[in-house]
Amino acid sequence: MSKMVTELITTFQIGSDLFGIEVMNVQEVAKQSQIVPVPLAPGFVRGLVNLRGQIATAVGLREMFNHHSDSKDSEEMSVICKLDGNLVSLIVDSIGDVVEMEQSKFEPPPHTLPSDIRKYIKGIYKAEGSFLSILDLDRISRELSPATETSSRINS
Amino acid sequence: MESALENVRAGTHMPIRQLFDVLFKSVTVIERILSDIKLKSSDESYVSLVGKASHALATVASRLPEAPKPELKPDVFEKLASEASTPARADSDLPSFQVDDEPEPSAAAAPVKEELIHKSIETSHPQASVGTQPSVVSPATSPSAVKDREAEGATSIRVPVNLLDNLMTLMGEMVLVRNQVLQYSNKSEDLEFLNMSKRLNVVTSEIQGEMMKTRMQPIGNVLSKFNRVVRDLSNDLGKTIHLNLSGSETELDKSLLESVKDPLTHIVRNSCDHGIETPDVRTQAGKPAAGTIDIKAYHEGGQVVIDITDDGKGLNKEILIKKAIEKGILQQSEAGSLSDKEAFNLIFAPGFSTAAKVTNVSGRGVGMDVVRTNIERIGGTVDLSSVTGKGTTIKIKIPLTLAIVPALIVKNRGEIFAIPQVKLEELLRVESSSAEDKIEILHGTPVYRLRGKILPLVDLNQVLKMSSEATNYRDRVTNIAVLTAEHCSFGLIIDEVQDTADIVVKPLNRLLKSLQVYSGATILGDGSVALILDVLGISKVAEVKYDKIQEANKAGEEVKKMSEIQDFLLVQLNSPTKHCFALGYVNRLEEFKRKDIEFSGRQRVVRYREMILPIISANEVLGYGASEKKGDTIPVVVILRGGTLYGIEVDSIIDTLSTTVDAEPSMVRHPGLFGSLNTKDELIVIADPFELIALAFPDLVQHTSKVPKKNLIGETAPCRILLVEDTVFFRRAIAATLEKSGHKVSMANDGQEAMEILNGSPEKFDLIVSDIEMPRMNGFQLARNVRKHSSYAKTPMLAISSRADKNYTEEGIKSGFNLYLEKLKAEDLLHAVRALTQQEEAA
Repeated sequence: MSKMVTELITTFQIGSDLFGIEVMNVQEVAKQSQIVPVPLAPGFVRGLVNLRGQIATAVGLREMFNHHSDSKDSEEMSVICKLDGNLVSLIVDSIGDVVEMEQSKFEPPPHTLPSDIRKYIKGIYKAEGSFLSILDLDRISRELSPATETSSRINS
Repeated sequence: MESALENVRAGTHMPIRQLFDVLFKSVTVIERILSDIKLKSSDESYVSLVGKASHALATVASRLPEAPKPELKPDVFEKLASEASTPARADSDLPSFQVDDEPEPSAAAAPVKEELIHKSIETSHPQASVGTQPSVVSPATSPSAVKDREAEGATSIRVPVNLLDNLMTLMGEMVLVRNQVLQYSNKSEDLEFLNMSKRLNVVTSEIQGEMMKTRMQPIGNVLSKFNRVVRDLSNDLGKTIHLNLSGSETELDKSLLESVKDPLTHIVRNSCDHGIETPDVRTQAGKPAAGTIDIKAYHEGGQVVIDITDDGKGLNKEILIKKAIEKGILQQSEAGSLSDKEAFNLIFAPGFSTAAKVTNVSGRGVGMDVVRTNIERIGGTVDLSSVTGKGTTIKIKIPLTLAIVPALIVKNRGEIFAIPQVKLEELLRVESSSAEDKIEILHGTPVYRLRGKILPLVDLNQVLKMSSEATNYRDRVTNIAVLTAEHCSFGLIIDEVQDTADIVVKPLNRLLKSLQVYSGATILGDGSVALILDVLGISKVAEVKYDKIQEANKAGEEVKKMSEIQDFLLVQLNSPTKHCFALGYVNRLEEFKRKDIEFSGRQRVVRYREMILPIISANEVLGYGASEKKGDTIPVVVILRGGTLYGIEVDSIIDTLSTTVDAEPSMVRHPGLFGSLNTKDELIVIADPFELIALAFPDLVQHTSKVPKKNLIGETAPCRILLVEDTVFFRRAIAATLEKSGHKVSMANDGQEAMEILNGSPEKFDLIVSDIEMPRMNGFQLARNVRKHSSYAKTPMLAISSRADKNYTEEGIKSGFNLYLEKLKAEDLLHAVRALTQQEEAA
């Protein structure tokens, strides 16, 4: 068997869709703790959380992706990543397994995806029976560090 | 070497200026050679640089013997060298320092110094200069100095700053955990645990204190550099300036020290350039020829204060104001009322420079505003006071450290926020029950009278859009935190004040920073997260227009008429601009069902209170075109004109507007419009309902007097007119019209007041213009009284009224009015005034 280049992916669900982040980029997975809302902040910023003395920005991926499916009743989970030196807690519906994926099965996202979601997705892995969308953390990070000219837009 | 020279200078106080100039210059050149040697390895560029340097040194050396007291030189060198060899020696030892104390090193070092200069001159040969390099640095590395440094090395170590930063962050965590443990232990009954937590508390506080010290550096590290700065500047500018430093040992966080360096340098340069005068100017003013700059650093209330005082010419208020008006920073109208302090603070305005000419020292456009911004960025404040002719003092206050700040914890709508104490002036608790102590509304924004001054208020709920409904401040207790932002104070209305606490500032990501209102976040004792409010940002977001409010305040106190509130009815027409009617015209507001509207001929009418109300469309008359909006009902403004009611259809009735803003008659006449209101936020067009009606029914019989259409030649002679009118809007509008055509207008509220003015005034009025319906004494009574009185019975009288039906007109003429006009047609009014006054003159 030829040597396959594989990657470990942390998977999670939003609605019925499966998303993933490379394991190396994930600091930890935690139960959603208490969120302190930040008034005036854009909708996808749920607020701030205290992560053992560090402050992380809680980002609701559901809001960020404009995902309209019904939210689940069960407790939300958060995937904590370090983006650009800032801690970000990505709020997801539920956490899946860590899976090993062949890099050869990686494909760019199809153009027909809704742009709200597509702009945050680096690519797609085809798994048995379902697709696994890999998040573009750099893009999310950019969303959290707007250049000054876009700040006025957010304020308005 | 440089600091050694400075110390020698401070110790000897000998006026061997030129010698030191030369020394300083040679030091600079040597420094350059050294850095060049370090940077450049290529021989060619090296040769040229050394050539340049040696030339400079040669000229320097050639000037050396010309120093006034050359015989002093060896002595100075000895002191210099021995001082350099004993760097561990405290400064205070220096004046009493004797060469014989340590003769050997001084003797050894002095030749080195001389040799240094000789060798440097030789550096025209590249090879020789390479050989010189070790000897150039020799004063610092002389045997005893090396020994001292070794001894010092045993007790101190070099630590990277970011390691300290990390320790500091962890320290912050520890403080938080300590707080949590303390909170928990308060609930506990366990004595042993209580003791342990107390102990933890003490130890943590101690560690925190020690930890802070690791980052502390004496401010002298920065201040001592100013000796050179002031010296060089005073030479360049031809001034003599002494610099006195005190409190150099005051310690400050290293990062803060870095950030105050540039602002301080700027201030010192400013003092040298603008502050201190040239020696002859000073002697003329009776001051010592040498100027003095004092820099004093000390601790005060958990802050470090740096005072920079010069005994120069001080700030000149008039020049400042003139300059500010020139630069468009200040309005001419504001200038007169500025206090000294406000005027001095003008120098902090962006783009302000008082230097008459641009020098290489200062006056380059970037100035005190940058100083202020830099200081405020690190949470400090800049304060300035000055006495013209005596000098200027600039007081800089900076926090000891940035990492841990004392803060006020407040609660708003269940959420916790922290406000840095530095920005907090005081806390107010306003209870609505007391009459004089209450929150008032000015132009729709809440204000509070704090010790006679108007304090603009900002509601945190509204800035953060935490609640949509307007808050009612009347029926509750309001907490106000008085905060200082850049130029002004403002009150922040908060729901609840909780506590004060030392908080550890944690940065926010840029997205949240860009919201402007938060400067960071923190974790409180109970582990919950609180946002730290950025006071400056809030004032920007809420746009505390201090100047505006102050202006309104002043205007209100100065001129009574300015504070008179006029009422308008705001309506929306099919036009982007809002329109309004003076509320005095409006009889009623009605909403008619579309199906109730009938047609009489082509005129739309509606049956209304057992009469027929003709409806005209404001859009149609003003030529705005029919509105798209079609509802089941139409809003109608009912106007009484000449005893008949008319309905004016508008798109929607928005609101009433009470404003002190003056109505301005429009420059270009548009039929149906009176003028405009230039309010704070927008321009509102004032419609003239009578004219609208007149336009809609051109054939309507007017019961008013016909103004004699004589051919009046020439300009109207300016005359004194007494205007009697009770409605503010009309009084001001008419007065404005009259005054615009050069007349002098006195105003009275009603007939009674008019009589008082007539009786009391030494001058005769050329004309009385009066309304009819007024309280106390109406127009008819006034006319009769005027006609009865001997001294002014012949004064022409003009009636202007909204009641312009036949009976009224006849009654008016009967009572003694010369003319009876319908209200507010500017041309007719002026025409009538002209006719009446010229009649008078002709008679």
